Amino acid sequence: MAQLQPLIKAPITHSQIVRYAGASGDFNPIHTVVPVAKEAGLPDVIAHGMLIMGMAGQAITTWFNHDQIKNFSVRFQKMTFPGEELTVKGFIKEERDDLLICEVEVMNENKERKLAGTFHVSKEEKNA
Amino acid sequence: MSTVQNKVGTETKPFTFTVERGKISEFVSAIGDSNPLYTDSEFAKEKGYRDVPIPPTFPTVIDMWGGADFETLIALLEVNPLKVLHGEQSYDYKKTICAGDVISAVMKVVDQKEKRGMKLFTLETIYKDDASETVLLATSVVIER
Repeated sequence: MAQLQPLIKAPITHSQIVRYAGASGDFNPIHTVVPVAKEAGLPDVIAHGMLIMGMAGQAITTWFNHDQIKNFSVRFQKMTFPGEELTVKGFIKEERDDLLICEVEVMNENKERKLAGTFHVSKEEKNA
Repeated sequence: MSTVQNKVGTETKPFTFTVERGKISEFVSAIGDSNPLYTDSEFAKEKGYRDVPIPPTFPTVIDMWGGADFETLIALLEVNPLKVLHGEQSYDYKKTICAGDVISAVMKVVDQKEKRGMKLFTLETIYKDDASETVLLATSVVIER
């Protein structure tokens, strides 16, 4: 199983989460309004799962050509809070005819896994 | 009769979204992705794209800004917004979507189950281009804890 170059991200900030809320259009206040997060029983706001998947997507299109990504699936496993430093890791699991079967995971500095997923990469480029 | 209302088959209104360069640029900037493929259309064209392509998770922008935003989903599923979590997300890319494309989509509840006192909804979204060709499929699992 070949390991791909890990992508190390800067620590998540409240501002980044607010920017992601605006960019993505997901204004669930649990991500941006601390009193709402507390009402939900959380110590602070949580990052959007899709922001973490977006970071995994960033890594994937660094490792492979954008055009060759066929599919991308993840399971969200743990919440992410401001201050956490995430690393995206990828592995080529197997080679099947014209396809690479790969895995991706996002961990924090304490090796807590936030997301685990798979993606398939075509060996041939498609027409954009 | 079950007290849990079954949402399978419920869907959003069809929605349309025009993919804009500025929105792609804002999105990758929030993620912290500086790949010029998403921001420099000349660079993207040199690489063989019609214009800057969307990054892998951009379809969420099409949903949220197009017509399936958080409030719409909460109303559709009739769940408590303080207890909602995103469990899974999956994309099946059929054709490259680039800036300038006009995408139409509908989001539909295709499965619902109860697990350890939590409700799990599976939502499927089909995205089509202006020639009505399917360009992308998305599946997500939304959990009410």
